Amino acid sequence: MIARWILLALLPIVAGIALTQSRRLSAIIGMGLFSFMLAAVYLLMHAPDVAITEATIGAALVTAIYVLAIRRTGRLIVVADEVPSLMAREGDHITGLEYEILEGFAREIGLDLSVRFVPLRRVRWLIAHHEADMGAGGIVPLADIEGSLSATPTHLKTGVYAFPAGKAPLEAPDKAPDYEGYFSELASHCQNGTLSTVATSLDLARVLALSRTGASLGELGRVDGAFGYAFLVGKRRTELQRDYVDYLHRLRTSGRLDDMIGRYFS
Amino acid sequence: MAAIVAFILFGLGILVLVLRRDLVIKLLALGLVNAASILFLVSIGDRPGARAPIQGPGEMGILADPLPQALVLSAIVVNFAILALALVFVMILVERYHSTDSTRIEQEMAREIDEEETPCL
Amino acid sequence: MNKLRIRTVLAVGIISAFVVLVALAFASDQPVPADSQQYLARALGETGASNRVAGIYLNYRLLDTLLELLVFSVAVLGVRHYLQQSEGMSLPALSESEVLQTAVSFLSPLALLLCAFFAIFGHISPGGGFAAGVIAASGLLYVAIAHGMKATETRLNPWRLALAEKAILLLLLAFVLVPAAFGKIPLSDLLPKGTPGQLLSGGSILIYNILIAMKVFIGAWLVIAAFAQHRGEL
Repeated sequence: MIARWILLALLPIVAGIALTQSRRLSAIIGMGLFSFMLAAVYLLMHAPDVAITEATIGAALVTAIYVLAIRRTGRLIVVADEVPSLMAREGDHITGLEYEILEGFAREIGLDLSVRFVPLRRVRWLIAHHEADMGAGGIVPLADIEGSLSATPTHLKTGVYAFPAGKAPLEAPDKAPDYEGYFSELASHCQNGTLSTVATSLDLARVLALSRTGASLGELGRVDGAFGYAFLVGKRRTELQRDYVDYLHRLRTSGRLDDMIGRYFS
Repeated sequence: MAAIVAFILFGLGILVLVLRRDLVIKLLALGLVNAASILFLVSIGDRPGARAPIQGPGEMGILADPLPQALVLSAIVVNFAILALALVFVMILVERYHSTDSTRIEQEMAREIDEEETPCL
Repeated sequence: MNKLRIRTVLAVGIISAFVVLVALAFASDQPVPADSQQYLARALGETGASNRVAGIYLNYRLLDTLLELLVFSVAVLGVRHYLQQSEGMSLPALSESEVLQTAVSFLSPLALLLCAFFAIFGHISPGGGFAAGVIAASGLLYVAIAHGMKATETRLNPWRLALAEKAILLLLLAFVLVPAAFGKIPLSDLLPKGTPGQLLSGGSILIYNILIAMKVFIGAWLVIAAFAQHRGEL
């Protein structure tokens, strides 16, 4: 009797914790635990048939199917924000400089490339938690790459634009260009003129894309310094980093990298 | 008591279904709603002092109600079948739109419909 | 006649036979228990099964169970159809550790034993065909994890499994619907009703449990295999 009440009281707590996890795998395993507790509750309610069926189907089979569905094998998972001419969707397929670089890289190490579009801030979180292999989408790594992240050698030089804070001269921001949400939402902010409220600084490709839409960019000014685009990789993926460094070196020396850049940024 | 917990779980499942954007979490919340309905049905059949409804002919005693249990067995299996199919559709959707974010997918779909209706000039 | 016409004629024939038999089955008239008190009072005597729940869903409510199996089959069909890959890919062994293979070597026979127990003793102890089938499919998944999908696929061809699944389903349908069309209770006493508590009691609930276990086993395994082989993006 008491055991049944304790289990029943724990059920919403376990379900709540399981469904508010950030990682999908944690949520799936939490729901598997919930299913087991539910089977115990059915047993305490004198329903053994239902308990056995719930335990096998809900806890074992459903969990197995979900884990098999979100498992990723044989693929190079890239998470990126959509930036025109670096990594953008066009109808059915994806084009862009970074996409071509990564596609060649994936083909070379024998994996399939799979790109997932997420907000810019989420890219770091996903790489730090090993949910994806590489992060792309016009990332300018600055001093705040730390912890479990590391940046690859840059493949394209760029510039950084920032909003002046008061009358102080523009200085190199210590945080990488950053904004909330997706890049496509920035365009609508441009139209409203509220760009400075959502973005602290932006890089060259995004500035070019925004200016192409014809909206005004406010008081963005160019910051002095040399910056470059790079990809984000987890710090412990040493083999992946080594393979990529070799690949990029070969791209550069054979001149193919310049061809690609010329095609997108002529 | 179990009925109250079933209602709480039902509400929790619908809340998560609406509030979280990740498609896989939405599916898990749908499974939670299913589980809550089944819990409610089973809890109806439980009587005070009951035993499981599996009993030889010679023994006497109050048995729990077997009817909701029989109906709920079918419900569990059908729920699983539908969940597997829904997961397949989620996988196809993610492959098509390269994102697991439901609002993002809706935006992309709206954009595609707009592009279809207004031919390129 | 080419293949497509043959298949169409066969499908139309089966569907119309199904519809006719279902209509006749509903036309026949049997006194069924009206509420749970009557179920509890009459279940042991009329069905002969100690497990009252099995007596209900495999005797009084057999058509419900059958249609639920049909829903399950359609879902399996749908999953397999939508997860077809254009290239036939074989998954390497998900893990090649000795620990896993040793563990699997005694876990999977345990799973199959549990499946057999639940299926055969489903009318005198908790269990039933559905749980049995799912447990067997999980046992087969352990084997696939330890030895690789390719080895499992060469031994258990999915196309033949799908064919066997449909054959079992048709057999179950025939068991239920053909006698019902002639006004009798769906073949519930192929086996003796015996003394409750014995193995040979409960009429043909035993047969139904075994058939359902086999069907659910094949169906669940096909779904698991389809998910395991899909190299999607999720």
